[in-house]
Amino acid sequence: MRNSLIIIVITVLLTSVVVSAASDMDSLFALGNKAYEDKDYKTAIAEYLTILDKDVESASLYYNLGNAYFESGDLGRAVLYFRRAQRLAPADEDLVHNLEFVREFSRIQMEGVQLNPINRFIESLLKSYRLDTLAWIASIVFVSLCLLLIGRFGLGYNNSVLRVTTIVVLIVLLGVSGLTTYKYRNDYLTRWGVVVSSDSRILSGPNESAELEFEGAPGLVVEILSETSEYFNVLFENKRRGWIKKSYLSEI
Amino acid sequence: MAISNYIVKVFLFLALLTVSINGMAEAKSADDVKLIVSLDRDTIGFDEQAMLQILVEGSTQNLPNPKIPTFAAFEVYSQGRSSNISIVNGKVSSSVTYRYMLMPHKKGTFLIDNIAIVHNNSRFKGNPVKLTVLNTGTSVSPQLQDQVSEHGDHGKDYFLEAVVDNKNPYVNEQVTLTLKFYTAIRYYGNAELSEPTTTGFWNELLGNKAPYKQRINNRTYKVIERKYAVFPTQTGPLTIGRATIHIKVPTRNAQKRDPFGMFDNFFNTGKKVAVRSKPIRLNVRSLPDKGRPDDFTGSIGDFKISASVDKRQVEVNQPVTLTLRITGTGNIKAAAEPVIPELDDFRIDRASSSENISKVNDRISGTKVYEELFIPKHPGTLVIPSISYNYFVPSEDSYREISTKPIKIRVTKPEGYVTSSDIPYANSNLFIGSEAKDIRYIKDDLGETSHTGELVFTTPAYLIVNGLSVLMLAGMILVRRRREKLASDISYARSRYASKAAKKRLVRARSLSSPDKAGDFFSEVHLALISYIADKLNISPHGLTTDYLGDLLAKHSADEELIGDIVSVLQRCDFGKFAPTSITQEEIDELLLKAEQIMIRLASVHFA
Repeated sequence: MRNSLIIIVITVLLTSVVVSAASDMDSLFALGNKAYEDKDYKTAIAEYLTILDKDVESASLYYNLGNAYFESGDLGRAVLYFRRAQRLAPADEDLVHNLEFVREFSRIQMEGVQLNPINRFIESLLKSYRLDTLAWIASIVFVSLCLLLIGRFGLGYNNSVLRVTTIVVLIVLLGVSGLTTYKYRNDYLTRWGVVVSSDSRILSGPNESAELEFEGAPGLVVEILSETSEYFNVLFENKRRGWIKKSYLSEI
Repeated sequence: MAISNYIVKVFLFLALLTVSINGMAEAKSADDVKLIVSLDRDTIGFDEQAMLQILVEGSTQNLPNPKIPTFAAFEVYSQGRSSNISIVNGKVSSSVTYRYMLMPHKKGTFLIDNIAIVHNNSRFKGNPVKLTVLNTGTSVSPQLQDQVSEHGDHGKDYFLEAVVDNKNPYVNEQVTLTLKFYTAIRYYGNAELSEPTTTGFWNELLGNKAPYKQRINNRTYKVIERKYAVFPTQTGPLTIGRATIHIKVPTRNAQKRDPFGMFDNFFNTGKKVAVRSKPIRLNVRSLPDKGRPDDFTGSIGDFKISASVDKRQVEVNQPVTLTLRITGTGNIKAAAEPVIPELDDFRIDRASSSENISKVNDRISGTKVYEELFIPKHPGTLVIPSISYNYFVPSEDSYREISTKPIKIRVTKPEGYVTSSDIPYANSNLFIGSEAKDIRYIKDDLGETSHTGELVFTTPAYLIVNGLSVLMLAGMILVRRRREKLASDISYARSRYASKAAKKRLVRARSLSSPDKAGDFFSEVHLALISYIADKLNISPHGLTTDYLGDLLAKHSADEELIGDIVSVLQRCDFGKFAPTSITQEEIDELLLKAEQIMIRLASVHFA
């Protein structure tokens, strides 16, 4: 009886903490939105960043941050936060539109190299799905397979329908797992960065005396290949490589 | 008199022929190489040229080339070679004559020496010759002296005149130089012309005019005209040097006709004379500063410019060729390239340039074509702007600027991605801020939140769902395998359930643990122990004697005390089954306790 009481008290306390934290985030978000409406983008950014400092993220938060940075003239960070939002809500129409829209303003743009047909197909397939969704789909298929295997090996059912279904589900699982892995690798294992500094020189080596390859510009998205203490070795969308100071770049 | 002259000529001719044949025979007999150096004259003016002739003779077909040393005082230009090979009675003799034009740099007397050839590891040196360069422009070589002194200016039999149409040109403006060769007498062979020196000019030959006749001072001259377009490349005083024509004219006696004049041309080889023009001094003006455009390119003449493109619609990064065509009169070779400003919309690469020069009405004209590759950097309707070109018009003393018309190009975005050859294209038509009206508005709701960077794979729900599935599958498979084993392996099944059955029997024995049910109680305890051991060993419990049981247990490493206790309990049970009335409650409880303890101790015995 006494133990039950303690458990109830702890549960209530935890719930109230979580609820109050959530309402705290919402109120900060609302404050940020209010500042944005008042065109006080600096304050709006500060409010949104306060939420991020509390180790909380959401697609809407990143989206609004992108908007606020764009309106304040910081194209690089606008692209950075839109790209972060895209990880969490890739199918969000507003986000897709705004990202495309702000990238039009970039002083420098690049055309990527042509993807091979398989990669292009995979990209088109995964474009609208976030990693969580794919992971849960894979999980559901996995559970289904486990149930089928239980039926076959645990309960001893053995008929052709069960066998064919098991094989089909196994193939589906392999496919979905492969796509999930691709998405995970692309979105999380691969390090992406966005040029955020307007003075961003792309050099041929990781030091000041290296030759200037070209001038970068805020909003350019790059893949980070390696790094030294002060420089990132980056790969641009058109497959040109170069070195950029770490302070000029923010990781997505 | 004329007949005697004729006889003398014939005699001389035959004598010369004999001598030369003998000479050749001697040359053939000498199996070595000769090198004879000669000059066409030993004195020249500073702005004249001398012809150096090197004759190489030898009894071989493969005569080596002479090596000409570098002369500090002259520029040396090869004027070609002529060779002669003869084979008589199997003996080869050959001679090669090399001709070089010497143009002096300095005045003075210079020794031309060290001309040599190397043949069969031997070095053959030519004879030295001397050339004197005078301060004046006229040579006074006695044998080549023309006949000015005898005839006065227009009484000459021949003379060479050089005129220009403008002695006061602007730099880079065309000056037409005309050489006129007047001859009132016939001359032998072809006239050899040494072109006038035009240092400080770029020149282009306009061509020769068909010969015509002109009367001067009651003499009829045949006039041959040759014209040049010369363009001064520097300002200040510049001189067009003398031109020289070498001709062979009849000797004075031969000019007087005789009844045997038909032999004159045959026997009279004539006298070689050099006919020279006078140098012409020009004062070249620099272009006026007044009205000079800041980006003046230096082109002079009268030009037109046009621009065209090969296509009006392309994809991003696909080149459009812009052809700029500059047409007009003037030094088209020197016509500067139009300046194309840096464009944000295009990357510009030079493709090629070409020129086509024509000479019409003694003026140099033509077309210069520049091809530039315009590579659009981004999609949209892009404009190649008007490209301006300026030049100076000498006839108007003013500068003029012309320009092309702007050209619109529609640039489309290719399907999907395209291979990009270079970086980035600029798109500076948009500005952040005021024009950013199309950005979609912020979200009102914070939406679903998560910890920063949290991955679904690490969330408890995901781990539980997937983990449970795995555990369930593993559990069910184990259960199934156990069931199958129990069904198929009786020994295993008996061993597996031996403890459970024994415990049941002991529970039942406890319910019978009273003196009035002592018989049943003892039977139950006996059966519990016997059945347990029989199940464990997969043998029949029937007929198992206490002694045999003791032996079996000893085989399976049961300790002796345990075996003793089991045997004791079993013996007591046997006794009790047959004499149940003498049993007290305490004995029953004690036996039951002992049996339960035995069961516990038996669990540690390995029956397998």
